[in-house]
Amino acid sequence: MVSVDRSLFVFNTLALFRSYRLFQISLSLSLSTMAKEPVRVLVTGAAGQIGYALVPMIARGVMLGADQPVILHMLDIPPAAEALNGVKMELVDAAFPLLKGVVATTDAIEACTGVNIAVMVGGFPRKEGMERKDVMSKNVAIYKSQASALEKHAAANCKVLVVANPANTNALILKEFAPSIPEKNITCLTRLDHNRALGQVSERLNVPVSDVKNVIIWGNHSSTQYPDVNHATVTTSAGEKPVRQLVADDEWLHGDFISTVQQRGAAIIKARKLSSALSAASSACDHIRDWVLGTPEGTWVSMGVYSDGSYNVPAGLIYSFPVTCCNGDWTIVQGLAIDDLSRKKLDLTAEELTEEKALAYSCLT
Amino acid sequence: MIASGVVATTDVVEACTGVNIAVMVGGFPRKEGMERKDVMSKNVAIYKSQASALEKHAAANCKVLVVANPANTNALILKEFAPSIPEKNISCLTRLDHNRALGQISERLNVPVSDVKNVIIWGNHSSTQYPDVNHATVKTPAGEKPVRVLVANDEWLNGEFITTVQQRGAAIIKARKLSSALSAASSACDHIRDWVLGTPEGTWVSMGVYSDGSYNVPAGLIYSFPVTCCNGQWTIVQGLPIDELSRKKLDLTAEELSEEKALAYSCLS
Repeated sequence: MVSVDRSLFVFNTLALFRSYRLFQISLSLSLSTMAKEPVRVLVTGAAGQIGYALVPMIARGVMLGADQPVILHMLDIPPAAEALNGVKMELVDAAFPLLKGVVATTDAIEACTGVNIAVMVGGFPRKEGMERKDVMSKNVAIYKSQASALEKHAAANCKVLVVANPANTNALILKEFAPSIPEKNITCLTRLDHNRALGQVSERLNVPVSDVKNVIIWGNHSSTQYPDVNHATVTTSAGEKPVRQLVADDEWLHGDFISTVQQRGAAIIKARKLSSALSAASSACDHIRDWVLGTPEGTWVSMGVYSDGSYNVPAGLIYSFPVTCCNGDWTIVQGLAIDDLSRKKLDLTAEELTEEKALAYSCLT
Repeated sequence: MIASGVVATTDVVEACTGVNIAVMVGGFPRKEGMERKDVMSKNVAIYKSQASALEKHAAANCKVLVVANPANTNALILKEFAPSIPEKNISCLTRLDHNRALGQISERLNVPVSDVKNVIIWGNHSSTQYPDVNHATVKTPAGEKPVRVLVANDEWLNGEFITTVQQRGAAIIKARKLSSALSAASSACDHIRDWVLGTPEGTWVSMGVYSDGSYNVPAGLIYSFPVTCCNGQWTIVQGLPIDELSRKKLDLTAEELSEEKALAYSCLS
């Protein structure tokens, strides 16, 4: 009797345990196959050229990964409302599986509500005959106003990428007028310059660009940027080799290479009669993706971020540094040797940014 | 020399050399005042010449997708003048229309577009195309349900839905002042990806392919059919019931394609 009871007890316990295990397994299976919650991504200036290139990349999963559903928020100015609606129609027509919704609006509040990521492409372009101060003045007004809308309506911990030029200073203005957005969440795009530098090295050495890494873009996304290859490497069959060594042409690396990267934007405009949209959009995706998903082991990228005084760069500027990313945060790569030539260039671009900051503030008074 | 992974050229031989996949977006656009025959004539000349270059220089088993309009007839001309390219390798884009149809259903039902599948675009990538939802379904918590049942509005499905999809290109031009680029490009990627990597289980897509007479569509036209893809090959989905309304529409678009074919051939002689 006792033994039957005991075996029944054991049997029942085993059965309970087994069914609980099955429950655990099926729960974890369903969690792993359950779709992620959609991330809301804002693109301002979405009816323009860069926006048109960027939104299908986001909807395709290039920015956040092939398993991350997204909801796109697109903002533009009223004169572009019909064109913006045309973009929304095309996004619907493309039947993107990851795209769970599209908000197309001229209302900054509606655009900013609940967004987790904001890519600020909209800005006032420089027109012929315009003075720097005029362009700066228009953009300062735009970024002050959008700072306010973002701060009030975006989701907590919203990550911001400013693309529209002057990118660094627009980002700084945005930061100043959105004090409750953590300063580490406000960045500007220098990944385009970084990628251009990788491209120039890969063409020079006739190697795949994916074998080149760890260039640095220091400073302003302007013609004073400093594309630095002193720590860049190439993957070869014999391991990673310094770019400087493989190129073996310091004159080129200090001269043509730098000016080519600095002036590449103008070269694209000359060839296309339009500014870089494809490459800007692609680089914006790279910037966000690496920020959110992390940089690969042993690799850094360039991001315009709020300076903390690293490398004797004045604090309080949005300045492009080499960074690694992990768990959604960027960290400046510290301890890189800076030679004399580089020091001068780092300082020159910092000076320009300090002047831009002064000019921007003068527009506010 | 393959210095970088990009060859940018105005030389069609250099462009075609060794290619495994060809997406033919280039063509002569219709300008104001041009007659259909003039547009057809220009494009026939282009596609005859590019057929020759592809045939001679592309890699074996090159897959071809014609996008430029008139897409079906351009593809047919390409096929006729590249006889050594297997006819099953020459297709035209109707995936854009297919995706547009999915999008319209998803908006109507307020469901994610990824839950809608198995619409069909029959025929010509033109205003005679027939967007057919008779076999389309929507994924619901209670399993897959027919679109027709969930929409519960045959008047809309047989009327406005069809014309919206047929005329969507014009609607985009009106809004953007430019024709659909983003969605055309995206659909071209879908077309090739599914062709090369295979369609998901239980799902078909629409492709303009060389007709073998299935569904009583004349053989020898490039006609959009429902297809599944596996191992780099497409196969027409057979055995779908075609009601009377659909039959008329399938025939109408086939007629237009036969007329285009005749017009194209008259440009050659």
